[in-house]
Amino acid sequence: MPARSSAIAPDAALCSNTQVAALTAPERTLLLAIAPRIVPPAAGLTPETREAMLALIDGTLASRTPAMRRQFRLFLRALRWLPALRYLRPLDRLDGSQQDAALRWFQDHPVQLLRGGFWGVRALVLLGYYGQPAHHASIGYAPSADGNAVLHARARR
Amino acid sequence: MHERDADIVIIGSGAGGGTVAAALAPLAAQGVRIVVLEAGPKLRPGDFTGREVEMARRLYTDEGGFLTEDRSMSIAFGRAYGGSTVVYTGTSLTISEQTVARWDVPGLEHADLIARSHKYLSQNRVHLLPDADINDNNRLFEAGCRRLGYRVEQFPLNLDGCRGAGLCNLGCPNGAKMGTHRVQLPEAERQGVTVVTNCRVDRIEERSVVARVAEAAIGDPSPWPPGEYRLRTKTVVAAGGAIGSPALLLRSPVAAGLPALGRYFTCHPALILVAQHDRPITNYQGHPKSFYSDHFAESDGFLLETCMYFPFTTAKSLTGFGGEHARMMSAMDRLQMILVLAIDPPDAENRVMAGADGRPVVRYRLGEPVRRSLVQAMRASARIFFAAGAARVHAPAARTFFVEAADAPRLDELIPFDGLTPGKVTISSAHPMGGCRMGAAPAGSVTDAWGRVHGAPWLFVADGSLFPRCAEINPYVTIMALADRVAERVRLDWPHLQAHPS
Repeated sequence: MPARSSAIAPDAALCSNTQVAALTAPERTLLLAIAPRIVPPAAGLTPETREAMLALIDGTLASRTPAMRRQFRLFLRALRWLPALRYLRPLDRLDGSQQDAALRWFQDHPVQLLRGGFWGVRALVLLGYYGQPAHHASIGYAPSADGNAVLHARARR
Repeated sequence: MHERDADIVIIGSGAGGGTVAAALAPLAAQGVRIVVLEAGPKLRPGDFTGREVEMARRLYTDEGGFLTEDRSMSIAFGRAYGGSTVVYTGTSLTISEQTVARWDVPGLEHADLIARSHKYLSQNRVHLLPDADINDNNRLFEAGCRRLGYRVEQFPLNLDGCRGAGLCNLGCPNGAKMGTHRVQLPEAERQGVTVVTNCRVDRIEERSVVARVAEAAIGDPSPWPPGEYRLRTKTVVAAGGAIGSPALLLRSPVAAGLPALGRYFTCHPALILVAQHDRPITNYQGHPKSFYSDHFAESDGFLLETCMYFPFTTAKSLTGFGGEHARMMSAMDRLQMILVLAIDPPDAENRVMAGADGRPVVRYRLGEPVRRSLVQAMRASARIFFAAGAARVHAPAARTFFVEAADAPRLDELIPFDGLTPGKVTISSAHPMGGCRMGAAPAGSVTDAWGRVHGAPWLFVADGSLFPRCAEINPYVTIMALADRVAERVRLDWPHLQAHPS
């Protein structure tokens, strides 16, 4: 086996093989609006990591069945507009604490369809953020192909 | 459509199909044409990058997030040269006598399964890791269990050249895991078996298989050019896993005579429990899964195993969102993790179906006993974490995001039974089982004790779908043992099978 670096390198081209096809512009806007409520550090996304987040989400959606994509679209509309019944504004126009309350309402809803829909959106946002190797150093995640060497070195200290 | 001829077609190349391919390979050396059809790619060593999303896309169906019909659980299963053996952690346990007794399959003896299991433990170089290679995540689990008096054991593992990358579930970047991609398939190919990758099987007809080969997006190209194929054969072995095989048979004419097909699906529903220590620990360095506890298996219906997951999987496993979630996630180097697995009972209504588009659909209801087991498992895990010195624990069913060490005496109150809400809590599975269960008669089973499909002596099943109930342990060794039996049956039946004109 050829020698190679033991570090698991971040890959800037991570999303290059995904076709951006599933998300519409309003859906991108909504996801970007709620991302910092789900993952607060997402408030500091750079233009590159923002696009990488959307590309990761898009790539996952693109790999799912058309029926699943339709359900996702439908739920995103519900996510945007159901809060208007209480706040008279769609989710992406609410302030942070109102958005949190609305998201919690979905998360804890007695109807499993709404809970599950929110679970799916939450999972996609988490994927978009934590799926990026660029964010791993900041959360203390630095795997190595030779983890045992790290382990043994620590044991010697 | 391309027309091809073969003598034996094996569908799937994981623990089941890879084992059958190797066990039948001596026939190939004698001129019998054996073809393995694998839906996934054959990756090259450099394709194993250890990057979570990238590898999930390369190696898993639906990136590891295949959802049940009601979206309350995700099921992870591999699709690659080597199937799920490319992405498991290599834990190599043999099935217990009590479990085989509970399976109650006439003609299936525990002693026979154990003898065959040991053949593969040896072939796959199974051993215990040396003490120096056990990381803190595992040591703390062991210490916590011992302090509490819980039975705890070290996992035998099928590794050769493990460097502790901790990335087993993303395909080992060091090629150290002795799955079928490393052991059985290369040996089968050396003896003349053909493995056709990127090949998805549409249906099985009377002694023929209809399949489509796709262009390889990554890894080695398939030995067959892209296109549709009809493969005439004398024997078919379905080994596409406990979701793939039932769905494939349901898409095929043989389904008409098999009322139990797809039913009694079990999967060891699982939760990932996470605790935070006040100091960095070694967790993602070293093998991630070195210890387990079956202390509560008989009394409360759950198993506990060490585990260590990657950032997205970890984030998804935590319930909730926002500041607390991010605080937990910001300390990946201080996290300790336990995987809890429920021992789920067989239920005819939990089933694999073929959707309108032919894709598998899994209908699975999390029954009350399983929910109770999972909550009991969360409480037991929290006790282990605190006994090991954790500062705070996240239990998905708890009333609060964090349970602090000071609240350890109140765990039963803080982690209530009604806190486990499907659709809110992330429940996953990596052990799909059943759907083509073995048994005596077609009314309640799909195959006999040798994996031979009732009413179709030329058609066999050789994977986890054969399990009549769940395995109550990590299942791959038992799948290999059953596949070894299937291969033996095919060899014994071969004089009759080969006499049938294609």
